Amino acid sequence: MFGTAMPHCDTKYFGTIAYDEASALQFPAGLPGFENERWFVSLQQPEHQPLVFLQSLSTPNLCFVALPAKAIEPSFELEAEEADLELLGAGSAQTTVLLNLALITILETGITANLFAPVVINTANLRAVQAIAPSRRYSHVHPLAEIPEAVCS
Amino acid sequence: MLLIRRRAGQSLRIGGDVEIHIAELSPSRVTIGISAPREVAVTRSELALTERQNVAAAESLGPEALAKLAGGLRLAR
Repeated sequence: MFGTAMPHCDTKYFGTIAYDEASALQFPAGLPGFENERWFVSLQQPEHQPLVFLQSLSTPNLCFVALPAKAIEPSFELEAEEADLELLGAGSAQTTVLLNLALITILETGITANLFAPVVINTANLRAVQAIAPSRRYSHVHPLAEIPEAVCS
Repeated sequence: MLLIRRRAGQSLRIGGDVEIHIAELSPSRVTIGISAPREVAVTRSELALTERQNVAAAESLGPEALAKLAGGLRLAR
C-alpha cells in the first residue's frame, strides 16, 4: 500500500485489507459468546450503506454486520448498566458521544436486528461493549425485512 | 413454573447443594445470593439470550446474504 506501514487483516467479506491501527475498536470484555475477541475494525462500503461491518482482527471468518440503532428505530435510547459505561470509560456521559450499533441476524423467516443488546462504541477512545439492556423495552429480534424470494435463485 | 413466596433474609434450596438467598428487596429489584458448586454455571438469562443471538448473527450471514440485505430493509429515513 504505497510503502506505508499500515497493518493488514484478512476479512470475511472483503479479502485482505489495510486498516488504520488507530481506528481499531477495543472490546475490553469481548462480546457474549465471543469473550476472547477483543479487537475489531469497523468497515463501511459505499455499496452497502448504511451497513457497518465489525470485522474481528484475530478471526478472519468473524464479521458482524450492523446498523446504527437510530436508523432502525429513530427514538432509540440506550439503556446501559453502570458496569458497561465504566468499561467504555464513559464517566462524563454528557460529553461522551456513544454510537449504538444493532447486530443483524438472517433467519429463515427474515432479517432481524438486536436492539436489546446494542454494540456501544465510545467515539472518543474507541472502546466498545455490547450493552445488554436492563429492561425488555427493545427486541433482540427486531424485524428488518422479509427475505425476497427472487434472491434465492 | 413453581412459584414460592419468600421474604428478604429467607432462602430456598434447589437440589442438595444449590442455595438461593433473598438478600435485599426494593420496589423494582431484588438482590439474590447464590451458593452453588463451582461447576454449576450461574448466568443472567439475558446474557445467555445475547450469546445465542450473537452466535446466530455470526453464523447466519454469508457473502450471499449481503445481496438480500442491500435491498428492502425497513429503515427510518
